[in-house]
Amino acid sequence: MPTTYRTSDTVDFIVVGSGSAGGIMARELAQAGHSVVVMEQGPRLDAHEFEHDELKYRQLSGITNNPATSPQTFRRNENEVAVQRASNSLTYARVVGGSSTHFNANFWRLHEIDFHERSVWGAIEGADLVDWPITYAELEPYYCKVEWEVGVSGLAGASPFASFHSRPYPMPHLPIKSSGVLLEKGARALGLHPFPSPMAINSTVYRGRPACVQCGLCGGFACEVKAKNSSVWTVIPEAEATGNCEVRSESYVFRIGVNDAGRATGVHYFDKDRVEHFQNARAVVVCANGSETPRLLLNSATPAHPDGLANSSGAVGRYLMFNKGGGAAARFEHPLNEYKGANVTMMLHDWYNADPARGFYGGGGFTARSGGPLTWGQSVPEGTPTWGQGFKEYLESYTYWMNLAGHGTSLARETNRIDLDPELKDAWGIPAMRVTYTDHPDDLKHAQFMIDRAVEIMDAAGAVQIDPGHVDLATGGVHLLGTCRMGDDPTRSVIDKYHRTHDVRNLFLCDGSSLPTSTRGQPTHTIEALAFRAAHHINEFAARNEI
Amino acid sequence: MEAPTSSRRQFLSAIGNLASATWVTMHWPQIALAAEHAGHGDAAGAPTGISTLTAAEATEIDAIAAQIVPGGITREATVINFIDNALGSFWSGQLPAFREGLAGFNAAHAAQGGTGPFSAATPEQQVAFLHTVDTTPFFMAVRRLTVLGLIALPKYGGNKDYLGWGLLGVENRHFWTAPFGYYDVDYPGFMPYPGTNPITA
Repeated sequence: MPTTYRTSDTVDFIVVGSGSAGGIMARELAQAGHSVVVMEQGPRLDAHEFEHDELKYRQLSGITNNPATSPQTFRRNENEVAVQRASNSLTYARVVGGSSTHFNANFWRLHEIDFHERSVWGAIEGADLVDWPITYAELEPYYCKVEWEVGVSGLAGASPFASFHSRPYPMPHLPIKSSGVLLEKGARALGLHPFPSPMAINSTVYRGRPACVQCGLCGGFACEVKAKNSSVWTVIPEAEATGNCEVRSESYVFRIGVNDAGRATGVHYFDKDRVEHFQNARAVVVCANGSETPRLLLNSATPAHPDGLANSSGAVGRYLMFNKGGGAAARFEHPLNEYKGANVTMMLHDWYNADPARGFYGGGGFTARSGGPLTWGQSVPEGTPTWGQGFKEYLESYTYWMNLAGHGTSLARETNRIDLDPELKDAWGIPAMRVTYTDHPDDLKHAQFMIDRAVEIMDAAGAVQIDPGHVDLATGGVHLLGTCRMGDDPTRSVIDKYHRTHDVRNLFLCDGSSLPTSTRGQPTHTIEALAFRAAHHINEFAARNEI
Repeated sequence: MEAPTSSRRQFLSAIGNLASATWVTMHWPQIALAAEHAGHGDAAGAPTGISTLTAAEATEIDAIAAQIVPGGITREATVINFIDNALGSFWSGQLPAFREGLAGFNAAHAAQGGTGPFSAATPEQQVAFLHTVDTTPFFMAVRRLTVLGLIALPKYGGNKDYLGWGLLGVENRHFWTAPFGYYDVDYPGFMPYPGTNPITA
């Protein structure tokens, strides 16, 4: 019988969001003996309810925030009037498991350099590059915890550029598919160092869940066999098994309650019938993703907190970052059949570090990456007919193509932000988010650098046709980072290094919004490690009655 | 705030992303059911089983789709049923603009000397005319829906018998084992770099 709590019960913790961080937070708090209610906007679906429906999941917001009900506006800068676009700028999954349900599961650790780039680079004009308040060494044990308790396959130490691993991955890497073989061939020919990609996908039976069946549809899809290590299949069931945790799906938290003493008292939310409730709690942990977390704080403004909750710094919603990158598609002589097998099997970190010799800031990694046929078929390389016999022949070439995707840095800028649209409301009548974003010039230069490198690698691999990417100004993303940044200085950051908000003692935040820098793509491993670390400290605070 | 835009401009932007449709998750069962009830087109004649478009509209769209991906596969795969279903469900908000675009298409065809509907023209005449309109929002919309109708799951009306997947070389299975393609058949395994010390569990 699932544990349930009444709204009148004062539970120890409410965790807002059930994704990568929320699931871990719930498990760690519940296993420590605390009563926990997890609030999730979206429905709870079992594995058999997901399907290989590319139209639904990749084109029509099947499990992601839907622009029809959760609209957003976008503008380039504060001088423009933000407008509602055809698609939302910021995308995340709206289902129990959050974006860990539909991610590609490509799990990179950060490198030591990520935590102190400001000290190395100094100030960058037009950006606010900062050091993290923690180091790689402090996070390393929690990376291991993710790898062993959630499940990651890979070959630790295979990359000459990786920072130290104190443990191996618990599972060997997934089988290398043709795109991985070709990346390795091209990169090694150029003297580079590709390595098997770490993935949060089981390569063997692990913790009671099966190995990957190589269905080929990871990114954008939920795993139908529970081999992809999404929180809905991993830590959430373990949280519930404690008897201390209720996952309350289709429960949309729109405001955090605060009393006169400045303490969080619980959350206001709508149930699936759009009936409003208030759940009492001793503390609140928001893990709602890098867009919804700042929006919730801003929508929780009160006369005592007119600029939003925990926003004395003014940093809530600011420093929005994605992962800017660039790459190339390439066609080969023989079929690769990229629709089979996990989406990523081989990667490259030779250009991870930013290098002053390039003349701009920026670094990143490459992955050999596949995509579904429906998404692929809608665009053509430059020079290919968009209809007629030539287009038909292009469609027939689908199995001969691969992508070499570059994932890179985005510099934090104070002006890139999420705030509340002054007019637009969502389907529940709650102010919608307004996104203001313009890439830093270095991000654009680095994106072109990645495109050029991708072309070189694919050429060295023997591609018969290469379709380079284009550098466009970003209008949104799926890695939603930096909007409630972590830092020691309460005037310039929202949370401290333990994820406690500087302003509200019993309010914690942990998700992509916590990251002070953008990383180089694939931030989920780090978000999960941060969640384990934050939960460890929150449990210690609770034990010492310091919440 | 939503910018005041004409239906035509909304249509143009919607081509870029179908998620702009007034579709919500809860409507999926009805969408799939509608597609299931739709009949299947007759490769030799006018489309059948159409419930949103008129027969005349469907005939023209079907003819355009047949030139976008020539060789008869769009008809064999009942792409027109997908398009009809889309315009009656997740893309219903675009139906008025779509019809407006079709009317403009027909008017342009007539203005260029077409003595009958586009669908009655010879293949050579059709191709020649499409070259004059293939950058219009309407054509791009039909093109996009044609591709979707070839590749989306058959339950939405198109990709009958997975013929569209067959065109792309995609086999209708959902589990595989290595090797997956030509280049990984003889892959010898990853060789560590000098100086590295890969560790395994």
